[in-house]
Amino acid sequence: MSGRRFRTVLLVALAALLLAVWAFPVLWALLTSFKTERDVLAYPPTLFFEPTLSNYRDVMFGSASLLPNLLSSTILAGVSTLFTLLFAVPAAYALARLDLPAKRASGFYVLATQMLPPVGLIIPYYLVLQRVGGLDTYGGLIAIYLTFSLPFAIWLMVSYFEDIPREMEEAALLDRAGRLRALWYVILPQVRGGIAVTTIFVFLNAWNEFLFAVVLGGNRVRPVTVAMFNYISVEQTLWAKLAAGAMLAMAPVIVLGLLAQRHIVKGLTVGAVKGGGR
Amino acid sequence: MAVTGSTIRSASDRRERRFALLLFAPAFIALVVSTTAPLVYLVWTSLMRIDLAMPFLSGFAGAENYAKMGADPRFWNSLWLTLLYTASTVVLQVALGLSLALLVLRIPRGQAALRIAAILPIVLAPVVVGLFWRTLVLSPDVGLVDVVTRALGFGSHNWLGDPQLALISVIAIHTWQWTPFAFLVLLASLSSLPPDVYEAARIDRADAWQRFRHITLPLIRPAIVIVVIMRTMIALSAFAAIFAATGGGPGTATEILNLYAYRTSFSELNLGYGASLAVVLLVITLGVSLLMFRVRTRR
Repeated sequence: MSGRRFRTVLLVALAALLLAVWAFPVLWALLTSFKTERDVLAYPPTLFFEPTLSNYRDVMFGSASLLPNLLSSTILAGVSTLFTLLFAVPAAYALARLDLPAKRASGFYVLATQMLPPVGLIIPYYLVLQRVGGLDTYGGLIAIYLTFSLPFAIWLMVSYFEDIPREMEEAALLDRAGRLRALWYVILPQVRGGIAVTTIFVFLNAWNEFLFAVVLGGNRVRPVTVAMFNYISVEQTLWAKLAAGAMLAMAPVIVLGLLAQRHIVKGLTVGAVKGGGR
Repeated sequence: MAVTGSTIRSASDRRERRFALLLFAPAFIALVVSTTAPLVYLVWTSLMRIDLAMPFLSGFAGAENYAKMGADPRFWNSLWLTLLYTASTVVLQVALGLSLALLVLRIPRGQAALRIAAILPIVLAPVVVGLFWRTLVLSPDVGLVDVVTRALGFGSHNWLGDPQLALISVIAIHTWQWTPFAFLVLLASLSSLPPDVYEAARIDRADAWQRFRHITLPLIRPAIVIVVIMRTMIALSAFAAIFAATGGGPGTATEILNLYAYRTSFSELNLGYGASLAVVLLVITLGVSLLMFRVRTRR
């Protein structure tokens, strides 16, 4: 009996250690963001210090304010999410439920586009946007964000559409409500939850995007990910400010991630679950 | 009656197909324009001499860029690092993620807290993760890891400045951020296994290892395959975390193919050669994904 209890204690201790390994860097950054730069460099590191809000004041209202970058991220992620859903939801319904010609090939095509490494696409995007004057514009970047969000959103929505009982749409069609009306009034309300989850993941991915933004953005369009990176190349040693900026930049995705936590496994494996089997 | 029924059905079939096409077409066109067309343009660019530093040399080059790769030690180095980085991060993630999932499954309470902790690294932007590690975790003297190694008597190290340590560090960063992915997926798979199989095995006096080897492992094999496929794809397109932590350096110590293609195109401004490197990357990704899907569908 006591041997068993010992094992439980050991397991819990191990689990706590893991928790620490994953949560610690984030918690440490959170702690650092309230320190003065002098406390940051103290050795051994201090847990007890006079907390200050000056770092947050600086990154919000100082000379290198992050607020314009937060706005930039919000526009990029918000608008690209909206367009992604406008394209993805109807396409996913067609793939999941309708007699789409060449259905298998279409599904595979969507999946294949998701596999493309962004570095492989960035050169053509750069050359094309340069030619049409699309560098450092919201329109240019939002169009390009569709490349990675659209395949993902289509596959995630397919999985939600497939969960709807078929009788539901048959009943709607017998009612002689047109197909579009049936889709809008009967089917879509059934996948409201799925749409919410898809919105969260698409927004999160767009918010975290870095490569496209750093190459194709500029002074006008500069999301927080790029601003954070530029910050460290200029201010090598101001870590407390960096930590405060990172906390500000990552707060939205941490909140969204926690909101969607029960769906995260589904969001992470979408595509792979279906794609190979078909 | 039967005749009219089938004509009505075929007319409504046609209408359904038209409706389906109408719904699918916008997304399809968007994908063709935003992924397939750029791909063709990339291949075309890889056959050109486009050096923004020397624009007067621009022109058609044929296979020149590809021929150049054979004798480019930096290319072979990046290829080797890509292989090393991808293989080691995927193996580490699956091994650690599976061990953790098996461990956590036996904890009576606190699973929810662990699941939340596991989500934290996943939702962070890789570029921010790279910056965290570069400053707060791996920096000599005041970084967390250095504080620990100093306290344990292993001394202080220049984790991102020494070529070998830098490679280990970027592998550790990727593994730290993405092991929770393997952990969560495998935990979900393990939790859904039927308990009665284990009961039967216990009556058969199978020991813990035999139970794992002959019951658990075959049952969660599909989940493991999914994790391996997805993580390999992501590792092959890894960029931001390494870029933020080391920028590919010191020298070319952490310059995987992604970083090399990027640096060639946008630091050295040789877009033609950069495009040919990107084509190699795409061919590798395509080859690996086809191979993996074949493994998956064979069974």
